Amino acid sequence: MPRVAGVDIPADKHAGIALTYLYGIGHTSAQHICDVLAIESNKQARELTEDELSRIGSYIEKNFVIEGELRRLETANIARLRKINCYRGIRHRRGLPVRGQRTRTNARTRKGKKRTVASRKGVKDIAH
Amino acid sequence: MSRSLKKGPYVDEKLLKKVLMQKDTGDREPLKTWARACMIVPDFVGHAFHVHNGRRFERVFVTEDMVGHRLGEFAPTRTFRGHGGRRRAAEEGRSTRS
Repeated sequence: MPRVAGVDIPADKHAGIALTYLYGIGHTSAQHICDVLAIESNKQARELTEDELSRIGSYIEKNFVIEGELRRLETANIARLRKINCYRGIRHRRGLPVRGQRTRTNARTRKGKKRTVASRKGVKDIAH
Repeated sequence: MSRSLKKGPYVDEKLLKKVLMQKDTGDREPLKTWARACMIVPDFVGHAFHVHNGRRFERVFVTEDMVGHRLGEFAPTRTFRGHGGRRRAAEEGRSTRS
C-alpha cells in the first residue's frame, strides 16, 4: 500500500478517492490536489509512482493541516469557546447542538441516546 | 451569509466612544449596554460591560480571547433549569401549594 504524508495508507482505490482517507482531506481537496499536481485522479492509488507520492506529500504538507495536528486544532478551538463562556461554549459544555438547531425533537447526535422521562401520570402520583 | 468585508465589523459607535473615553480617564466601571450585536474589538479588552439579556444586565469582563465575538454571546437570554424529574416535580408541587 502506498504511503502519503507520513502515516496514512490509502487502499486500492482511485487516487482522488484514496486521498480522502486522510483526516482533513475531503473530495474537493483531493480532486484539487490531483488537478494541481497534474495527476489523473481516476488512476489506481497503487499505480502512483514514488515521485507522484512525494509530490502529493509535500503539497499537502505545505497547504493543508491534516490528521493529528488538525484534531489538536479542533479541540483547542472548542476549549477556547468553553473557556470564554460564550453561547457556543455553553452549548458544547452541555452537549447540545451548537449551531441553533432545534432541540424539541431530534438533536440525537449531540444529546446521545434517548433517556426516557417518567410518564406524566407517574409524576402526579408522587406529587400527591 | 457573512458580513461584507468592506463594511468592517459592526461596532456600536456610542459604545465604542464610551470605551475610548474610559481609556482616557482610566475608569473601569462596567458600561451598561443593550448593544448585544456589537462586535468585540481589541479596544474593549480589559473593560467590563453590563450586557442586557432582556431582563437583567449580565456582567461581562472582556478578555483577549473574546475579540471577534459579539457582546450578546456572553449574556444568555434563556434560563433553563432542567425538566422535572421525580424529585423536582415533588418539590415544585410543595412550593406552589405553600
